[in-house]
Formats: sequence, C-alpha cells, structure tokens
Amino acid sequence: MYDVILPSLAEGVDKAHVTYWFRSEGDDVKEGEDLVELVTDKATFKLPSPASGTLKEILAAEGTEVKVGQVLAKVQ
Amino acid sequence: MLGRSCTRGCGFCSVDKSIAEAPDIDEPERIVEIAKRLALKYLIVTSVTRDDLADGGSSQFVNIIESVRNCLQDARVEVLVPDFGGQKDSTVQVAKANPDVFGHNIETVRRLYPIIRKTSGYERSLDLLRLAKTENSRMLTKSAILAGLGERKEEIVETMEDLERADCDILTIGQYLRPGPKNLPVDRIVLPEEFDLYKKIGSDMGFKFVASGPFVRSSYFGEEIYKSVIRNM
Repeated sequence: MYDVILPSLAEGVDKAHVTYWFRSEGDDVKEGEDLVELVTDKATFKLPSPASGTLKEILAAEGTEVKVGQVLAKVQ
Repeated sequence: MLGRSCTRGCGFCSVDKSIAEAPDIDEPERIVEIAKRLALKYLIVTSVTRDDLADGGSSQFVNIIESVRNCLQDARVEVLVPDFGGQKDSTVQVAKANPDVFGHNIETVRRLYPIIRKTSGYERSLDLLRLAKTENSRMLTKSAILAGLGERKEEIVETMEDLERADCDILTIGQYLRPGPKNLPVDRIVLPEEFDLYKKIGSDMGFKFVASGPFVRSSYFGEEIYKSVIRNM
C-alpha cells in the first residue's frame, strides 16, 4: 500500500485545500497520473499518484484543509 | 528559497523579519526533487531579500536555474529576484544563467517608496530590470505593481511607462490586501474597470503581456502568460 502524502511545498506554505479528486475510491490509477488538485496561498497544483494500482481510500474530502505530511489517500 | 526571514521591512509584506539563517546548499537539490515528485513543468522560484549575504543570494538563484536545466529538461523556470542591494554583478550572474523569465517587482510608485519600501530604491529596481535585459535579451523580464497602497491612477501609469522604458516584457497589476494588523492599511479598492484600463494602456505602450485585475499576483497564471508571450513572438 502506498500513501499519497502532501509534500513540503515551499517556504511558509504548510497547508493546502483539497479542491478536486480526479479519481474515486476503487478506480484504477497509473503512476504519475493526476489524482487530486490542491490550492495553497501561493499556487494551485495537482498531486500525482505514487504508484500504479487501485485507489483504495480517500482520506481527505474535497473542501477540507490538509497539512504537510498528511496522508490524503491510499493506493494499493 | 533562502529561508523564512527577510532583511527588509516593506510595509505591505507579512514575511518574518527575524534573524536570517545560513543558506542551505542542498536547497536547489530539494527544489528539483519536489518538482520531480509533482511532475512540475513550470517553476517560479523566489526568495526573501538577503542583505546579510555578500552576493545578496544571487549564487543560490544561479544554482537553482542550473539544477533545473540539468535535471528537469522539460521544465521552464521563472525567477523572482530581490534587488541584491543594487549590486550589478549579482543581477548579471542570474541573467547569464538564463532563466526563461527574470522577474523583479517594482511593487509601488516612485512617490511612495520612502513610505512603503524605505530601504529599497525605485531607480535601483528599474536599473536592475534594464541591466538584466541588456545582459540577456533572450529571456523575458517581468515586474509587478500592487494597487491600493495610496498611489494615484496617473502614478501607476507613470510607473508602467518607467517599466516599459526599462524594457520590461511582462507586467502584473493586482489589488493590495492587508496581510495583518502590522501591515499598511488598504487605501482603496481598485475597481475591475480601472484594472481593465491599465491592461489596455499597458498593451498600447508595448508590453508583451499585461495581467491586471483584483486577484492578480506576480505569479498569477505564470506558465500561461509565459506560453502566450512565446507564441506571439
């Protein structure tokens, strides 16, 4: 199982808002494919999947705030 | 990059002004690493002002530009540099490293510099942009103005003219918002129509791109603006 983690992005940016999941739980995903869109004070960006497999669980719903290091989803 | 602490005290900025830390030599490597993990195709790299460093931090900008060129061949890199204390050699070195976009923000109009940017210089910033373009005419230069800090409309237009004369290619103009109670209050909310007018005036002046609107920031749609300018050249 691979964790999709919010990485440390920039100086002074320690949180982000989840705005959109491109995939749903149970979907097949490819490594490097965009999984989720996030917005910080400075930028909007997409987080790619760490591995190919199945998106098992989404742990941060759209509209929620997440911190650097937090697990957003699990890919099996 | 170059830490969380700034050695200047601009009235509009909320960045911390405590003791500056020693530069991290691994920083370019870490920036490239995160760019790879996020599969970034366009990086905008900026720093605090580091008057405590002999070169003002320019070598760190050179290192990050070179790291991106070596490790992320598909990615474009835009830098947003401080004024390096007016040291010409710092500007020359960063320009020679050939970023795709060389940004330096003028921030406000000439008259407000002594109030808003006490330890910076209006002419110094214009000179820096002009020098960067002279050293490397292949890269695009870019600057930004914060509106709503107490300037008059004609002063914004005057600053646009000064930037245009400094051969600045891209201009962004956005609404100043007060980051906290220690910062300067908002003097006025600029209406969308006025922002539209600046866009028109700027385009007529000869800027290659003007982004002007309430939500515009210096990094606003940076990649799209870069691509649009390149397409039209």
